[in-house]
Amino acid sequence: MLTKVLFLLLFSSTLLYSNVYETNCVACHEELPVSIDKYFYRYLLQYSSKREVKKAMIKYLNSPSQKRSVMAEAFIRRFGVKAKTTLKHKELRDAIDIYWDKYKVFGTLK
Amino acid sequence: MSVSKSLDTDLLRSEKQTLFRFSSLYILFSIVIVFAFSFMYYDAQKDLMLQEKRHELQEHSKNLIEDLKQLHINFDKNKYYPRSDAYESAILDSDENLIFQTIKTRVKLNEILYLGDGMIHLVSIPESYYVGAKFVIVMIKDDELWLEHVKKELLLFNSIALSVMLIVGYILLQLFIKPMRDAMHLLDRFIKDTTHELNTPVSTIVTNIEMINKENLDEKTLKKINRIDIGAKTISNIYQDLTYLTLGNKIISNDETLDIAHVVEERIEYFKSLASARKVTLHSTIIQNTSLYMDKGKFSKLLDNLISNAIKYNKMQGSVTVHVDTRRIVVEDSGIGIAKKNIAKLQDRYARFNKSSGGFGIGLNIVSSIAKEYSLNIKITSEEKIGTKVHVSW
Repeated sequence: MLTKVLFLLLFSSTLLYSNVYETNCVACHEELPVSIDKYFYRYLLQYSSKREVKKAMIKYLNSPSQKRSVMAEAFIRRFGVKAKTTLKHKELRDAIDIYWDKYKVFGTLK
Repeated sequence: MSVSKSLDTDLLRSEKQTLFRFSSLYILFSIVIVFAFSFMYYDAQKDLMLQEKRHELQEHSKNLIEDLKQLHINFDKNKYYPRSDAYESAILDSDENLIFQTIKTRVKLNEILYLGDGMIHLVSIPESYYVGAKFVIVMIKDDELWLEHVKKELLLFNSIALSVMLIVGYILLQLFIKPMRDAMHLLDRFIKDTTHELNTPVSTIVTNIEMINKENLDEKTLKKINRIDIGAKTISNIYQDLTYLTLGNKIISNDETLDIAHVVEERIEYFKSLASARKVTLHSTIIQNTSLYMDKGKFSKLLDNLISNAIKYNKMQGSVTVHVDTRRIVVEDSGIGIAKKNIAKLQDRYARFNKSSGGFGIGLNIVSSIAKEYSLNIKITSEEKIGTKVHVSW
């Protein structure tokens, strides 16, 4: 019985975390002409490691500015700088973790 | 007596030790210099080889970075890491985590160009971190031709350098021991001159004492004559010792089978007057008679020195016993003994550890050289204030 409860809790929490990314990130980015993975590769191009990329993303999403953006100036001029995130720190971190796992290079090269 | 100019001077043990230490230090120093130079030369040649390969590696690195750029642009469509037959490669992120490598190798990021695991490595940092790669490492196999060349050169150079150092060392050693040899030569020359001057008067005294008819003498005169006899025998012994020392190697041996017990009795008789003057009793214990094939004069000299020392360094009313056993004689005294630390140095020429008795410190050196000539083993055991035992075995 206890095992079942634990499994359900774990399953629901996994769903909840994936929802954080899907509902709060993908939902908005789908409306933009540039797919969400392109932002990831721009971060990778500039920050390289998992730690640095995540740190830069959190910094930008908590306090977005043109200076902190990895996108080209023309892109910012056209679409502007996004609004500051409304997500809590843990939610934001979870969303970025999912984002990293989805597009990471480590272990995907053949 | 003619004074030989080709003196056979032995260096003392302490001087030999000093020379040994100097030689060891010199050899060690030479080896360290040669090794240090070899290492520096190897390092310089390695650097030269790496610089020669730098251009080739830079070309490979440029190509790889261009390929990584293409991979980055098309990463959503293509995830194949760019490979080449000309080189191996590895990419690492800014936290030095390995992203991908074509060959398993240990990579170092603290050097730009280096040799490791038989591969020449070049570390580059591209302007942009394509696929997250901050460090791009390209590697080519080291053919080790340069190493073979360096080995040959070092072998040749080291052989020449060590030979030169050996010659220089030998010259230095000669210069180093010259003052010691000069001092020994001076002492030897002095002894030779002294013995030369002693020869005639000593012979005259000994011969004339032997010619005196002691039966016709009164007790008082006989005592005086005995004292002169002892004195003359002492001088005669010293004279013979010094003669042996200076001409030792030039005396032709007349070897014969010696009846050891007989010679021992003869020498004890000879020393009786000397021993009685010092109130020392002389005994011989023949446990088993034995024989030895050697020169009688030299055996007597060996025995004389041992008995003479045993009398000289004895206490008043002490005793000296000569034990004769199978292939062995032991001269035992009840004397002052020798400190353990001095026993090893006893056989050095001019070694003296008791200044209360006279002597040149040459007796045991003579014993040692005779023993060496006839392969006799000398073993000295002693205890201070109890006595000394000298074992001569063959």
